[in-house]
Amino acid sequence: MGNLTMADYQKILHRTRSILAGFAKTRMSVKAEEINEHTEITKDLGLDSLQVMEVVTEIEDAFDITFPVSDLFEIRTVRDLVLRIQHILEE
Amino acid sequence: MKTMKETPTANTIPQKRGVFGTLIQALEYAATGDTGLNFYSRGCQLDSVLTYADLQKDAVIMARKLLGLGLSPGTRFALCAETDPDFVRFFFACHYAGLVPVPLSTAIHMGGKDAFIKRLRGYLAASGATAAMASENLYPLLKEAASGIGLVYSGTPAAFDLLPVADLPLRAPSPNDIAYVQFTSGSTRFPRGVIVTHRAVMANIAGITQHGLNVGPEDRCVSWLPFYHDMGLVGFLLSPMAAQLTVDYLKTQNFIMRPGLWPALITRNKGTISYAPVFGYALCVQRLKASECPSFDLTSWRVAGVGAEMIRPDILHRFADKFSSCGFKRESFVASYGMAECALAVSFAPLGQGLETDRIENEIFMERGLALSSRNGTRAKEFVLCGFPLPGHEIEIRDEWGRAVPERTCGILHVRGPSIMSGYLDNLDETSNVLDRNGWLNTGDIAYMADGQIVVTGRKKDLIIVNGRNIWPQDLELLAEDIPGVHPQDAVAFSVSGTLGEEVILLVQCRILEEQKQAASIKELTSRIYEEFGIYCTVECVPPHSLPKTSSGKLSRSRARERYLRNLRDKRSLTEVTYSQESCLVT
Repeated sequence: MGNLTMADYQKILHRTRSILAGFAKTRMSVKAEEINEHTEITKDLGLDSLQVMEVVTEIEDAFDITFPVSDLFEIRTVRDLVLRIQHILEE
Repeated sequence: MKTMKETPTANTIPQKRGVFGTLIQALEYAATGDTGLNFYSRGCQLDSVLTYADLQKDAVIMARKLLGLGLSPGTRFALCAETDPDFVRFFFACHYAGLVPVPLSTAIHMGGKDAFIKRLRGYLAASGATAAMASENLYPLLKEAASGIGLVYSGTPAAFDLLPVADLPLRAPSPNDIAYVQFTSGSTRFPRGVIVTHRAVMANIAGITQHGLNVGPEDRCVSWLPFYHDMGLVGFLLSPMAAQLTVDYLKTQNFIMRPGLWPALITRNKGTISYAPVFGYALCVQRLKASECPSFDLTSWRVAGVGAEMIRPDILHRFADKFSSCGFKRESFVASYGMAECALAVSFAPLGQGLETDRIENEIFMERGLALSSRNGTRAKEFVLCGFPLPGHEIEIRDEWGRAVPERTCGILHVRGPSIMSGYLDNLDETSNVLDRNGWLNTGDIAYMADGQIVVTGRKKDLIIVNGRNIWPQDLELLAEDIPGVHPQDAVAFSVSGTLGEEVILLVQCRILEEQKQAASIKELTSRIYEEFGIYCTVECVPPHSLPKTSSGKLSRSRARERYLRNLRDKRSLTEVTYSQESCLVT
C-alpha cells in the first residue's frame, strides 16, 4: 500500500466499515451500510475494550500496519479511526 | 550493545524460595545468579532483557538519583505501570531510596483520554504521592493529571536518568517497612490503596513458591498480567524474583490483540508456570483458529493457574479440549483464591489434579445457604474447589452476626495470617471495617468450606468482576446519576453470567418519557461507562419507583438482579442460566 492520497480515504473507510460491521452485529445489530464516518465506535456499535482490541488487530492485518495502542485515546468516530490509519500508512 | 539473549531457565546458584526478610534481600541474592526478566514484542520477538544482576545494579543507581531529590523516607512514588524494564527498575529503586512504590493502572480505552486523566488524578490524590513516573507515551497525560496536585517531581524514565547521582547512603528497607501500595481493590471514585509490608509480601511469596506452586529450579514463568494488578506484580514479578526464576513477559494489550502470543511464548521457551483469569483462557478459546494450534507445544506447562474472578469450569474445559492436541494437560489447571489485601494468595488447589468441582443441591443452597452434596444431577449447582489455605493462614466462615459456621455452610470468608495487609492507605474507617483487632480480615467474599478446601460462591458483596477487573456497582450508578432527570437512588448495577463471561447490566429509573431522548441518554451513558471502564454495559430504562428496595429503603442490587434474570428467563424461556453466581442468602 505505498503512496496514498486523499482519494484512498474512501478505500480505507470502506475496508474499516466492513471490519466494524462484523463486530457491530454481536450487540447492536447494526448493518454495514448504517455505519458511516460519524458513527461512534463504542457508543453506537456497543463494543467493549476486548472487542476494540480485536478490531485493531484486524485493522493491523488488513492494512499491514502497526497501530500504537495509545492512539486509541483520541479516537471516537469511524472518521477518527480512518484518518489515523491513513496517517500511519503515509508515514 | 551486547547481543540480546533471553535469560536461561537453569540457574548457577542454589534456589532459595522466598526465605528473605525483604524484597531487596531477595533481589540481592537473585542478582548473584543468571536468571532474570525477558520482555517480548507483539511479534513474540525479544524486546529487552533485564537480568536480576543488572536490575539490582540499575536499581541502586536510580536510587542514588532519587535520593538527590531530597524526598523524605516513606514518600510515595507513583509509577504508571507498564510491562517494561523501567517499571521494574523504578520499583526496586524506590526501596533502595526509602520510598514507597505505588503502581498505577495504565489501561487504555478508545476515546478514553479524559477518563484516563481523571482516574489517574484520583489515584495520585489518594496515594498522596509526591513524585511520579510515566513512560514517554503516557507522560503528557500524567502531567495533565498531576496539575494542581503538588507533585514535587514527575518525569519520564529518561528524565530521571539525567538526574545527578547523589552521594548519600542508600536506605535499604527493613521487614516492617512498606513494600508497596496497591490500588486494585477500591472503586475508581473512592480508590483504596492496600498497604503491604516487606514482611507480609515475603510471607505470601514463601507460601506461593514453597507450597502453592512448589516451584523448582527447572521452572520458568510466563505472564501477560499487568504489574498494577496483584497477580501480575506479586505473582509474576516478586515471587519469581524471590525464587530466582526467569520470567517471559508479554504486554497485556498485545496478548488481548493476539491471544496466540501466550501459547506461542510458552512454546518458545518451554514455560512451566503461567496464570490468567478465566477470561484469558476464554480469549484463546474464541480467537485462536484450529489451524494455529499445531504450532504450539504446551507439554512443559505444569501450572496453568486460574484466579481473580469466579472460576467457570465450562470455559476451562473448552480450553483444555482445544489445546490437548498441543500437549496441554487439563491436570495442570490450578484453581486459586486470593486478593490484594492478602498480598495475593490465600489458597491453592492441589497441584497436578486439575479442576475439582463440588456439586450441591441448588434449592437448599439458595434457600438456606447450605452446600449439601447433590445426589441427582438435575437441580445441582457446581462450584470449583479453590484449595487449602496457605500454611500459617487461618480461614473462618462467619454468618452475618460474626459467628463461625460449620463446614458446608455459606458465610463471609475471613482470613488471618502473616500475609495480611497493614490496612488501607490513609483510611482508618475502611481499614477498621475489614480488619479486626485480632488480625482477621473480612474479605466480603461469600464461601463455604468443603473438607478443608475453600469454595467461593460469590465475590465481595455486589462487586462486579469483568475480564479479571473489579468494577464497583456504585461507580456505574453514580455515572447514571449524571444524566438529567436521574436522581440519587435511581440506578442499580449488577452482572449476570453470559456464555462467554460476565455481562454488566445497569437499570435506571428514568423520567424521560420521549423515546428518542431516552435512547440518546442511554447511548451517552453507555459510552461514558466504556470510556471509564472499558466495558460494554447494557443500560435499560425502567419506570420510576419500579426498582426493588431493601427494608432500610435502599435499592437492592441482588433483588434487582434476581428479578432481571427471572424476566430474562421468561422472555427467552431459558431453562437455566449456566453457572450463575447467585450467592446464597447470607447478606
